[in-house]
Amino acid sequence: MSTARIDGYARALFEIARADGTLDEVEDELFRFARSYESNDELRKALTGDDIPAEKRQAIIEDLLQGKATSTTTQLISMVAGSGLGADLPAIVDSLVERASSAKQLSVAEVRTAVELTDDQKARLKAALENATGKNLNLKAIVDPTVVGGVVATIGDTVIDDTVRTRIDQLKSRL
Amino acid sequence: MNALIVAAWIAAEGEPARDDNGQIVTHHWLLPEQAELIYGTIASLLIFGLLYKFAGPAIKKGLSDRTARIQGELDSAANAVQAADADATRIRDAKGDIDAERARLFAEADAQAEALLRDGRVRLDREVAELEARAEAELAAGTTRVGDEMRAEISRIVQHATDRVVADSIDKATDDALIEAFIQRVGASS
Repeated sequence: MSTARIDGYARALFEIARADGTLDEVEDELFRFARSYESNDELRKALTGDDIPAEKRQAIIEDLLQGKATSTTTQLISMVAGSGLGADLPAIVDSLVERASSAKQLSVAEVRTAVELTDDQKARLKAALENATGKNLNLKAIVDPTVVGGVVATIGDTVIDDTVRTRIDQLKSRL
Repeated sequence: MNALIVAAWIAAEGEPARDDNGQIVTHHWLLPEQAELIYGTIASLLIFGLLYKFAGPAIKKGLSDRTARIQGELDSAANAVQAADADATRIRDAKGDIDAERARLFAEADAQAEALLRDGRVRLDREVAELEARAEAELAAGTTRVGDEMRAEISRIVQHATDRVVADSIDKATDDALIEAFIQRVGASS
């Protein structure tokens, strides 16, 4: 899919969420769903398989997000998957997050941890990263068990990696 | 003949002597009668003269021819001896050549055999050295390969064990501590 088309879908989603007044919440939920989509093979197959009808894909999404996300988020994801653009969902969501952050003069900071961060940890981590980078950040926390422990933060091209996974990989390479 | 002789004898010597039976006998038991000697001598001279006159040249010619023939035979024999000597010399020379050729061939064969033996020893030594080097290389490669395989296996086991041990050892408290350490480190890095 072309970048222009991805940006077009992202802009559309952004405008819908903003018009709905739930931009921050929808943005966060879309971001989390996109990361889950990337790490879950079954979900990816379900939303991109040619043998699965659009109605079936939308039903799967509604079942998954029922009670866990706003109706706006559910409808937006349903719309993208129903349009056969499931494979581009992460790129569309990332573009939407970038757009939303830019609108708020913020940079996106993607933070991956093995466990869910508390609100206090998120706030202190956001402050620490802003202090380190000198930017106002839109913190996106992702639970990623593959990091095993620790934190990896990605702000644009900058990666601050202090995860157990990376240390294990370094140990393995030395072995 | 006897009658002629007797007639000649009577004419020369008169009446011959007779024995009691009337048979003529010689006057001496050994010597012939005188006339007989004369006639015999004359006849012998005549015969010898005739022989000398008529048979002499033939005999002389025969002797001369025989002498020439013998001389020719002697010359042929001498030539044959000379030829035989030449042949003997040539044969001896040839034999000498054969001996020399045989000696040369033997020497050449010995040299070739020595060269073959030397080359064979050199080649054998080289092949043995190559085999030893190859065996050592294969041994070293085998040792290295086994070592590499062991290291790889140990590494694989250690990596697998590391994953499990580390993952099992990190509980919520440990993870929180790691997160707090990250926050403090990043916050202090401005």
